[in-house]
Amino acid sequence: MPNSKYINFLFLLLITYRKKHIGIFIISVILIALLSSVLFISSAIRKDIYTTLEDQADFTLQRYKAGKVLNTPESWIDEFLQIDGVSKVTGRIYGMHFYEPSQTYFMIVGVDFFDNGVVKTLQTLLNKIDVEKFLSRDNMIIGSGVKKLFDDYQYKDNYNFRPPDRSIKKVYIYDILPKESNIVSSDMVIMDIDLAREILGVKEGYVTDIVLKVPNPKEREMVREKLTISHFDMRIIEKKDIEKYYKNLFNYKGGVFLILYTISLITFLLILYQRYSMISYIDSKEIAILRCVGWKINSVIWLKIIENFIVAFSAYLTGVIMAYIYVFVFDAPLLKDIFLGYDNLSQDVSFSQQIDPQTLAIVFIVFIIPFITAIIIPVWQKCITEPSEVMR
Amino acid sequence: MISIKHLYKKFSKNSDDNFHAIQDININIDDGECVVLKGISGSGKSTLLSIIGAIMKPTSGAVEVKGENIVSFSDFHASEYRNKYLGFITQSFHLFDELSVEENISVPLIITKLSNKEMDNKIQHAMDIANISHKAKQKVKTLSGGEKQRCVIARALVNDPQILLCDEPTANLDYDNSIKFMEIICRLKKMNKTLIIATHDPLFDKLKCVDKILHIKEGSLE
Repeated sequence: MPNSKYINFLFLLLITYRKKHIGIFIISVILIALLSSVLFISSAIRKDIYTTLEDQADFTLQRYKAGKVLNTPESWIDEFLQIDGVSKVTGRIYGMHFYEPSQTYFMIVGVDFFDNGVVKTLQTLLNKIDVEKFLSRDNMIIGSGVKKLFDDYQYKDNYNFRPPDRSIKKVYIYDILPKESNIVSSDMVIMDIDLAREILGVKEGYVTDIVLKVPNPKEREMVREKLTISHFDMRIIEKKDIEKYYKNLFNYKGGVFLILYTISLITFLLILYQRYSMISYIDSKEIAILRCVGWKINSVIWLKIIENFIVAFSAYLTGVIMAYIYVFVFDAPLLKDIFLGYDNLSQDVSFSQQIDPQTLAIVFIVFIIPFITAIIIPVWQKCITEPSEVMR
Repeated sequence: MISIKHLYKKFSKNSDDNFHAIQDININIDDGECVVLKGISGSGKSTLLSIIGAIMKPTSGAVEVKGENIVSFSDFHASEYRNKYLGFITQSFHLFDELSVEENISVPLIITKLSNKEMDNKIQHAMDIANISHKAKQKVKTLSGGEKQRCVIARALVNDPQILLCDEPTANLDYDNSIKFMEIICRLKKMNKTLIIATHDPLFDKLKCVDKILHIKEGSLE
């Protein structure tokens, strides 16, 4: 156990020779903040998407012809209900609406507010709604990306949709979806299913796609086979495929960053190693004095490990706190656009605040261990040199 | 007692070009003796002091201190030997300039298992002997050359070592400070410390407390 004089000496060295550490500290903080931000963003996105996908149907079926999506007959719903293992089949009215002024699309989602299954899926998004009031006229709930777009074009209270029959459908803005759900809902417009059918021009007796629930995972493969046989002009999308798509998308983006980060970290460590290899006069003198007054090699190395660990750990804490503020308080400007830029509408996302111990441990291990190693090897090399050599 | 037997130190620039810094040196120094090693620069006196101080290994030969050959010590034991039995006083001081006098003096004690109170007592005692107590809180960089030298003496004495090795101790001091240093040396001699001083300063020739003056030339005793 080090005595108080040892601790005092250690901090005196740190404070006295702070100029030696300040540059390393600043670069370390930047690298740690960057890495932590990337990991915080990707884990927050992953968590938000998985939470959203958890409520999704196990299968989504779309009718295809010549590579184009067609509306699906509602009669198929009864057909699919006959398949063993299928617990629920629902037709959906989903579709993209082209917004001419900004040349962008947003997604119209038709919701049957009297179908518990559908409402449950969107429950987290719609938990504030008074259904009776909402259905009393043509209302919609919009994502913040759509809201921003409408504001830009002065649609403050309502918006006139143009259904395919060339009529004008005025729909009022009832509410804005919560910011926390924006990763998936920024470009969403939620409305009553019949209103959506009218705006998207989906004929009675048809739906845009059909969703299935298969509670037993072991039965899904068999259900998939039966669905494939039942209609050849049908595309089957499984929940795991969607999960895989998002996982690949964000892992790819996170991976690119990690490669860039690794290159920066290696460069920094090489600089650090080189700096300590050409050990400065102050460092050299320090080691020489300690060795001459009887400090053993391991005592000197421990002193250097603790000294540099304090620098690295302070940088680690500062970097992680900065990343936390950057991601969860300021919503990660710049980096957010790179991670979420796949959407056609701008994303005004608030990431769900969370501290993942695994993320913190990864940052700690990836940074601090190579940092200490890069410093300690040259110090050790100096220590094992005859003290008389170091004294010169 | 320090017994040096057939000591050689060879520095090799390459396989054909060897420089013999020490050649067949044999010396016996009794406990409490004050020995001055005299010689011009490059004669080998500092090398001899480094070997006695276990900060350099000889090419061959033995240096026995209290019956133990320190040449064969591992780095671990050599460090312990330096910490417990030796005090170094060097011409270029080797102090932490940004730290205070007492912080510098405490450095050899930090790695010991002494309590803070015991350390404080030892630091105070060493400062009293070296006449530097009045500058205890002052940063070393603000001290004069003589005061720095006294700080080095106090640090060398803080562990109460039996042997003190002084390498050109007056090289960076003016006449008055050299005289003061010699007074301290004589005081240490009275405390029965073994003193080995490598110098070419003629002031040591007349010093009463010196027991032996050994002349070294080209690595050998004259």
